[in-house]
Amino acid sequence: MIDNRLAAIHASDVSVSVELETPEMTLNLGPQHPSTHGVLRLVAKVDGEMITSVEPVIGYMHRGYEKLAEVRTYPQITALVNRIDWVSGFANEIPFMVAVERLMGIEAPPRAQYIRLILTEMARISSHLVFLSSYPLELGAATPLMHALRERERVLDLIEGVTGGRFHPNFNRIGGVKPAAGGGSGQKKVLQDLPAGFLADTRKAMDEVDDVCDDMVNLVLGNEIFVKRTRGVGIIPKDRGMEFGVSGPNLRASGVKFDLRKSDAYLPYANFEFDIPTGANGDCLDRYWVRMEEIRQATRIVRQAIDGLPGGDLQAKVPRIIKVPAGEVYVRAENPKGEMGYHVVSEGGRGPYRLKIRSASFSNISVLPWLLVGQLVPDIIAVLGSLDFVLGDVDR
Amino acid sequence: MMAPKIPGIGLAKGLWLTLKTLFQRPPTINYPREKETPVPRARGVIALDIEACTVCMLCARECPDWCIYIEGHKEMQPPSKPGGRPRSRATLDRFDIDYALCMYCGICVEVCPFDALFWSPEYEYSEGSISSMLHDKERLAEWLKTVPAPPALEAK
Repeated sequence: MIDNRLAAIHASDVSVSVELETPEMTLNLGPQHPSTHGVLRLVAKVDGEMITSVEPVIGYMHRGYEKLAEVRTYPQITALVNRIDWVSGFANEIPFMVAVERLMGIEAPPRAQYIRLILTEMARISSHLVFLSSYPLELGAATPLMHALRERERVLDLIEGVTGGRFHPNFNRIGGVKPAAGGGSGQKKVLQDLPAGFLADTRKAMDEVDDVCDDMVNLVLGNEIFVKRTRGVGIIPKDRGMEFGVSGPNLRASGVKFDLRKSDAYLPYANFEFDIPTGANGDCLDRYWVRMEEIRQATRIVRQAIDGLPGGDLQAKVPRIIKVPAGEVYVRAENPKGEMGYHVVSEGGRGPYRLKIRSASFSNISVLPWLLVGQLVPDIIAVLGSLDFVLGDVDR
Repeated sequence: MMAPKIPGIGLAKGLWLTLKTLFQRPPTINYPREKETPVPRARGVIALDIEACTVCMLCARECPDWCIYIEGHKEMQPPSKPGGRPRSRATLDRFDIDYALCMYCGICVEVCPFDALFWSPEYEYSEGSISSMLHDKERLAEWLKTVPAPPALEAK
């Protein structure tokens, strides 16, 4: 396929005279480049301004979480998994917790599931707000960053108020959410339920987030320069995206109406009304627009969840020492970046025998060598930024 | 999506937003001079109640990156009433937390069965050298007075 496109590119510029032909040059981008969201290195071969081949070099941030998990117990792994994609730490914990709960045959009580859902959607909002603000910055507009990060900080403060951590909440426990601050004796056994004022503050924050989305429409989507830089750039066709395993907003921007929140019941999303925004062309502009619409849908879900928040326990009955029966399970979830899944293999012990992490960003950037061929050099940054990956999620 | 109809309207709308925001109070905090109050549940630093610790080693065992170092010995206590048997009591010799390794997960605070560990939202304890990040038990006990009361809960 790549060869066909290359042939087409080369056949198209037959009019170029021999003197104007440039020798092939290797262009190195990264590993330390602000637009790579971490340490991604791209080795591009360029023919003048045109890219003829790209090789992403990953692994600079490999921390070996799959191996670390094999020598730890299940409660300890909770602290590890929210560091995979640090922009949306809370959302990473959910599929792992649900996987372990399915293996043990227990289910979190409704209130815990609703709290999980609210905080997951808030993590999605904060993750997408980072994208909404940092992507224009990579294209040269610094103002949107300030507006969106202001609201993101508001959302992160709310998450911190409940969980105690802005980035690494570590709030999920097997069988529910963190029920109490301490262990045995009664004096410190303080409930870790939602703090007073959380629901009202969240409602207000959701309105502010919707407002900042409107501001972003004015600032970014209405900006002629931004539209010129992104429209028709980096088009991922529907079938090609599915072949490369692209998931999440990147795939929905190409017009595939696929959302695990609707198809997999890992959290009670069936109780809520929300739409799946899909783009038409699959270019950078669509990917920006889809994420903005997802924020609006997320605020819609959070409002409904706050209104219908059930009472009850925060934790199902689980033994003090968690041993998971032998077996294996794969649970996937719709993370802000795409499909995130954990394949947990248990041999009946206190820790997993094997933990395979399917992270969204890894599959999303695997489309890069195909996508960047035939693009211009300045468009590398536009395409890279629009895929919204985090290198911690790529390398794990 | 939206195609700008009038040339330059996008620029004008953007500048209008800038103008509006110009007269608002900045949401940022001028950090070293002003300080933010962290939420009561914020996981800043772990405080130790030396009297409550019984050297059971649960926290050191459950720590995911094994950054807690504990040593202790048994001490004979005089009998509580005359003629009674002398009691042995575990006493703490060393309780160090290496904050250069700690990942602030809070598992130690959760598993402690005797209420010896607490979270404090204090955050200003950065150091110039990495070895100074090891807090001994006296330093951990000092944090105890910064532990706030738990926040009120949302009515169910």
